[in-house]
Amino acid sequence: MDVPVREVVRPGSLAEALLALTERPDALVIAGGTDLLVQLRDGRKRAATLVDLDRLDLAGVRETNGGIEIGAATPMDRIAADPRIRRLHPALAEAAAQIGAWPIQCRATLGGNLANASPAADTAPALLVADASLTLVSHGGTRKVPVEEFFRAPGRSALAPAELILSVLLPTPSEERGLRAFESFVKVGSRREQIISMVSLAGRALVAGDGTFSEVRLAFGSVAPTPVRARRTEHLITGRRPDAELRREATRVLQDDISPIDDVRAPAGYRRIACAVLLARFLEEAAHG
Amino acid sequence: MPSRERTRAAGIASDPGPRSTDHGPLGGRHERPDARAKVAGSTRFVADLALPGMLHAALAVSPVPSARLAGLELAAARAVDGVEAVVTAADIPGKNQVGVVFPDQPLLVEDRVRMVGDRLALVAARTPEAAWEAARLVRPLLEELSAVHDPVAALRPGAPPLHEGGNLIRTFKVVRGDVARERARADVVVEAEYQIGGQEHAYLEPQACLAIPEARERITIITSCQCPFYVQKAVARVLGLPLAAVRVEQAPTGGGFGGKEDYPSEPAACVAVLAFATGKPVRLVLPRELDMQASTKRHTVVVRHRWGADRDGQLCFAEVETVMDAGAYIGLSTVVAERANASSIGPYRVPAVRVATHVAYTNNLFGGAFRGFGAPQVTWAAEATMDKLARRLRMDPLELRRRNVLDDRRRTTSTGQRLPGPVLASECLDRAAALAGWDEFRARSQANSGPVREGMGIGLVLYGCNLHHGGQRLDRSSAVVILQPDGSVVVRVGLTEMGQGNLAAAQTIAAQALGVDPAVVQVWQPDTTTVGDSGPTVASRGAHMSGLAILDAIRRLRTRLDPVAAELLGCRADEVELASSLASVRGSPERTVPVAQVASEMAARRIEAIATGWHRTRPRRFDPETGIGAPYEFYAIACQIARVKVDSELGLIRVEEVSAAHDVGRVIHRDAMEGQIQGGIVQGMGWAISEELKLDHGRLANPSFTDYTIPTAADAPKVRITVVESEGASGPFGAKGVGEPSLIPTAAAVRNAVCDALGVEIDRLPLTPPTVVAALGDRHPFAWLLSERRVDEHERLATVDRDG
Amino acid sequence: MAERVTVTLTLNGERRTFEVPPGRRLLDLLRDDAGLTGSKEGCGAGECGACTVLLDGVPVTSCLVLAASADGHEVVTVEGLLQAGRLHPFQDSLVTRGGVQCGFCTPGIAVTGAAILARGEADPSEQARLLSGNLCRCTGYTKVIEALQDSFAKGGHAKS
Repeated sequence: MDVPVREVVRPGSLAEALLALTERPDALVIAGGTDLLVQLRDGRKRAATLVDLDRLDLAGVRETNGGIEIGAATPMDRIAADPRIRRLHPALAEAAAQIGAWPIQCRATLGGNLANASPAADTAPALLVADASLTLVSHGGTRKVPVEEFFRAPGRSALAPAELILSVLLPTPSEERGLRAFESFVKVGSRREQIISMVSLAGRALVAGDGTFSEVRLAFGSVAPTPVRARRTEHLITGRRPDAELRREATRVLQDDISPIDDVRAPAGYRRIACAVLLARFLEEAAHG
Repeated sequence: MPSRERTRAAGIASDPGPRSTDHGPLGGRHERPDARAKVAGSTRFVADLALPGMLHAALAVSPVPSARLAGLELAAARAVDGVEAVVTAADIPGKNQVGVVFPDQPLLVEDRVRMVGDRLALVAARTPEAAWEAARLVRPLLEELSAVHDPVAALRPGAPPLHEGGNLIRTFKVVRGDVARERARADVVVEAEYQIGGQEHAYLEPQACLAIPEARERITIITSCQCPFYVQKAVARVLGLPLAAVRVEQAPTGGGFGGKEDYPSEPAACVAVLAFATGKPVRLVLPRELDMQASTKRHTVVVRHRWGADRDGQLCFAEVETVMDAGAYIGLSTVVAERANASSIGPYRVPAVRVATHVAYTNNLFGGAFRGFGAPQVTWAAEATMDKLARRLRMDPLELRRRNVLDDRRRTTSTGQRLPGPVLASECLDRAAALAGWDEFRARSQANSGPVREGMGIGLVLYGCNLHHGGQRLDRSSAVVILQPDGSVVVRVGLTEMGQGNLAAAQTIAAQALGVDPAVVQVWQPDTTTVGDSGPTVASRGAHMSGLAILDAIRRLRTRLDPVAAELLGCRADEVELASSLASVRGSPERTVPVAQVASEMAARRIEAIATGWHRTRPRRFDPETGIGAPYEFYAIACQIARVKVDSELGLIRVEEVSAAHDVGRVIHRDAMEGQIQGGIVQGMGWAISEELKLDHGRLANPSFTDYTIPTAADAPKVRITVVESEGASGPFGAKGVGEPSLIPTAAAVRNAVCDALGVEIDRLPLTPPTVVAALGDRHPFAWLLSERRVDEHERLATVDRDG
Repeated sequence: MAERVTVTLTLNGERRTFEVPPGRRLLDLLRDDAGLTGSKEGCGAGECGACTVLLDGVPVTSCLVLAASADGHEVVTVEGLLQAGRLHPFQDSLVTRGGVQCGFCTPGIAVTGAAILARGEADPSEQARLLSGNLCRCTGYTKVIEALQDSFAKGGHAKS
């Protein structure tokens, strides 16, 4: 069945796209459409006009001075396969490979995953531990927003009306002598593939030779109104060597960093336990490389 | 790889199929006749059929589970551009009644809403968008009433009744032996309560049907279904037409599993009413969400057990009390209950049994037929209790079963039926155990240092093939065989293909009996105007009943064919043999004439080359009051052993391997049989661990594939199959059914394997990660986190978040 | 009434133009406007894979693609897998291996399978992972993966 829209605009340039959005306040942007078309079909979102970004060349993975820049329209399968992302940001590559299943990965875009602003967005935890930032563009120009400020509430992002995500920048990870970098992404679901997560964890650590975590970043999905950095937990661990006692303490402190709810996928109690397990495993794996 | 062995038993009944010297296609792996068209995408399902002027149907349904319907405002719906009809209960030409067994279920609500999804009005429009938009705009005036959402609570005094007469629909029993005496002598007693969730069929093709009216005189229904004769009856009743004026053709059907057994009568009656109202063809394809909410489901049940054994592990007594959640209408629930009731004990010798199976109305989802039909639930419970007994006795669960299964010497079931032989329970146990490496697995110490635990578990089932005694009046089957002048053969049967391989089975059986290549046999879609009522395609009876009717037809055909062949061959009619596409003389195989030539000769001489066939089961004795007697005609045994790996911290279960031993009588089509077993195992596994019907006051909170998670290709375990063939079953060439035995024991085997791995009992299905973690209780390494934390009042059931 | 959009695409090797409502999904363009009913609708939410087609060579769920978004692109449906009336090697293997039961998921599986072969993926567990977006309720997947293995062994780095 047709989705209930009255117009599809397919701008050939960014300026055209922004103009179309400005002129039609009830328009929605569509890229891969893997979230939006479902929402239009079941009435969760309504739009008279869709602005299709297909003809704009917003896909691509580029190395810049600042780091790796991923065009907002880059589909997940390209992100998962890109050797630079796999090497420098393995959590993001892994997350992209676990979104939906292969046919979804061939369409779903990074920008779409972020703009949809689900607390379960798989790419978000990886971007959070990468300290990524988004470049947004509107008629007024471009602005940069750290990913941590981009998610506001379930389904709500920092995007202003008539504003688009242009790209996402992942700064080159700092390398320090004597420190080993470890990064991972894990998603827990009720089956192995094509699943919305019950909880997810992206973790990144810089580990010294003596096992001290000189830096640690932890970001969780599906356990708060937005994807979250577990700051209290990070603070507890930074500069210390996580032995069994510290790991235990970390899982306790973690409970104040997250605020899971009961929903159709899992009860809150399970989510708390699963987060603790993922955290403990991350700390152990990071310590041993 | 499957192995095949033919077991001889004393007193073997003769193979009812005609004998031939040539091996024939039986048991082979020839191409399924419908596969090429399906793989090319050229098979037309209902949604692929369109007629000029055809209208699209939509349904306006109740969003609440219990209410009085005070009225319907239809003006907004009627005003939608393209709408040609909006129909309510008052507009139904015949009877507003679709209950398949009992008349408790209207097609359209008149005054009382009893479930979310109860139909209020029907819409026909020129586009599906207009139809569903109009349906959305139908405004019902509903006065909500109290509802009951717990089947056990529904049976207590004071529970709001859904129908006159209260919420207890019926109780079935099995009463045999002296339970009190046996309980006194038992050394070990296990008591348990099992909470067993239902299941959604999740056929890939949603419910769909097309009605083509001829004024208001007669009608053709083309529908995705398992039982065209059920649809015929329902449509005739709703339109007020004689049966002969309703032609139902089964369209290629994209999966059924029981979900297209009785339910299709409802959408078919909807399009029939709309077709008569508009005079135009009307097509309905259910959106997936409405299909999941409103169509039938596997029953949710609660099973209470008290079973006891002596210290040698001999079962003494078994008490079972089951409450089944029927939902708002009876549907097939009493029939499901009959099977559950008769299957409650399993294939074990128990001197005293007391079984009670209660069926309760609630305002929950509509319970109905689903592969296994009540047996999976009670088998899950029975096999769990057997494992608990084994643990209490410190006995190998395999050994406990060996000591208690029925066999050729002791073959009286819990209902007092003497099983026809051979009884292959031990054989199936041993074969499955050998395939699975049971003894080796138990002998090696589990490397249980990390969080991953390995376990192995058994599921064993005694499956009553074909219809329960209560369904005897349905148990017949009709076939038509037409030998074409060129030697090709048309076969018509009343039982349907829904992917399980009935077409291939019918083709194979006809080819075997006529001695021709399967490729010259064409089995066409069942049509109620071409064969007699053959009953439903359920209970794994399709190949069996079609096959016997086909064999009957061919026997009759041969009374006319053999004399012609004999003339051409110069022999007596009773010396004619058919094999390898040739008619030959018994004893002189060099004297042959092609079957095709015999066919053309029959045509030239205008000899009747069409024959009908009929089969009906013999009457059996059974007392519905006590549940004693022969509920089923014959039985098939299946044993499955699952090996699992469990992440004991996250509660994630990976089913690594399932080893299956199936007593099939005779393999008709090897690929189809393996496909059934592999598919049944995966569907049973999904029910066991990842498929959960999440209800919120009767509303399904996860009515989509997004959150109702069935297994994907990445979840499929390795499946090892061994089949035991034997003689003595009364099916065609001795075949029994495999459609349901392939699923029934799987979830039990998985549950038992998980409990073996973790060392805890889990009495709740499905075994989702939260359920597994909860079952571990304080043994979970992070259980202290929750008990330390004060329960935050923010942690309540919140709104559904579907985004990801 | 909404203005129609013009969609020009290469469909199974042939350049075609359609005028459709703006809200039309690619799946409905294929089935209703182009009369190619091989691609099926099982859920309308991109979860079951019955609607899978190749878009510029990669598998996508066509129920989530706007017809308008396909303008200027290449689409191959299950019907387009046939080469001069002959089944694609994977389609043929599905038949000979018994990997077809009810047939409703089969077109989507055939398309994704063809893409897996074109990608050169020979490892069965990776094949299963790539196939995990195509749900099947009948077969339990074993014979489908066996068919993939078969067609790979037959030299099926076939063109999709």
